[in-house]
Amino acid sequence: MLRLLSVKRAVSVLAGLAVAAGGGLAVAAVVGGGVPADKAAALARRVSVATTDSDTEQVAPPERAPQPIPARMVSPGVPVPIAPSVLQVRNGWLVSDGSTLVAVYAGAVGDDPSTGRLVIVRQDLVAGTQTVRTLDAGPTGALAITAAPLGSSVETSAQTGSILIRTSTGRALRLDLGTGTLGSG
Amino acid sequence: MKAVAFFAALVAGLASFPTAAFAAPSPVTAWYVYGSSAAELATYAYARGCDFARSQPGNGLRLLLLDFGAARKLSSSTWGAIDFSNTTFSNSDILAALKRAADGYHNCHVRGSVDILYGNSNYHMSNSGMSNTDAWYAGYHQSDRSRDLFDYQASKGYDSQTSDAASDMEPSWDGALITKQLVNGDTGQGWALYYDFGSADGCPQSGSSDGPCNNGWHASDVGYVSFHGLAMSLPEIYYSALANQWTVVRKLWKGDGDYFFAGVTASTGVGLTPAAAWNTLSSLNSGLVDSEIACFGC
Repeated sequence: MLRLLSVKRAVSVLAGLAVAAGGGLAVAAVVGGGVPADKAAALARRVSVATTDSDTEQVAPPERAPQPIPARMVSPGVPVPIAPSVLQVRNGWLVSDGSTLVAVYAGAVGDDPSTGRLVIVRQDLVAGTQTVRTLDAGPTGALAITAAPLGSSVETSAQTGSILIRTSTGRALRLDLGTGTLGSG
Repeated sequence: MKAVAFFAALVAGLASFPTAAFAAPSPVTAWYVYGSSAAELATYAYARGCDFARSQPGNGLRLLLLDFGAARKLSSSTWGAIDFSNTTFSNSDILAALKRAADGYHNCHVRGSVDILYGNSNYHMSNSGMSNTDAWYAGYHQSDRSRDLFDYQASKGYDSQTSDAASDMEPSWDGALITKQLVNGDTGQGWALYYDFGSADGCPQSGSSDGPCNNGWHASDVGYVSFHGLAMSLPEIYYSALANQWTVVRKLWKGDGDYFFAGVTASTGVGLTPAAAWNTLSSLNSGLVDSEIACFGC
């Protein structure tokens, strides 16, 4: 409905009402007439969202189709979710048994290539939880995963197993996923 | 009558928002998508929608960010994403999953409202063979699918939901020109706000010049992908330095309107806690950071 209004009018309505209501899109209201015209209609759409649904009927959930991801190395072309400011990634590894997932990314601290770092992403798809944890190895240079369990036979066991890591100087380290610790290999 | 109904809806909607943001809001969980099949993706998204609804704090409109991985052109006329487990999904697959996320949120809804975001990234688009035009269409179709999701939400009576798009646009991951096309395509389609939950990596932490960032970007390029057209700034604030960089980006903005932040993207396992991330950015940009923390790992 808002799209029936002119953009300018939508902006002024949005800003004025946001201020009057004392919150919500507070910043857009503060900047007032400075709300970019391109964004005005879309921002106003957000404002008009209700807090209840007009249809309260439950819909049938999809049949649960947990599909494991065999343990695998993350090849260079595969997207990495970890920002470069956190990790300059060298390589990664992941596995899922369909209920829980572990992904390990190895490399160096974003702004300090002399410090080795691992980032471990865990998802519990049943409990609906996700954790992101970093493990710093000290002045080792960038870390890389050199050996890890692979394949479909280790989709559960590998999540608490060990991964071999090598520093930039060739020193071997071992990541124990069961305890979440990094020690000598 | 239409005008009266509109104003009534608008006031009701505003009243449902959290109060003006002077303190860090409670974070909401954002998800990295690791899929293995379209069917599994739908199940995954349904569960995430339900989880989000059950744990949603407060009565406000919050962002449910599902990061499907890198934007990709899958065939001559098919766009989609490659996720973090190296599985490609077409936009049809992703839309189907987003609809299940909407179902999950609806079934488990307790309070407040949600903006479900189709998230992707600019990760190595060029290396995958995408051209600038391909990236434009990736953004265009991303917005179009968000509109499709909204149509679904409306048709199902999910009045507590809306839909938009998002992208983890990182200077280190691809060039400025091709990344800008994601924003341009989305804006060209015209539906979805395009939340940039990426970084300003390598950009200056102080000063007022349009200094260089990583990979040939400049701070003004980060400003473009985070605020031009339908772009909205939801920056990664993992360390104090990143808040400094984004403050420079904000101050440099010379485009349409006054630059503000839609909130922050936070994470566990980094230098700043989610609340500290919001507070740090807010302290440098008083009154210009909205009440949102999308958190990976929370």
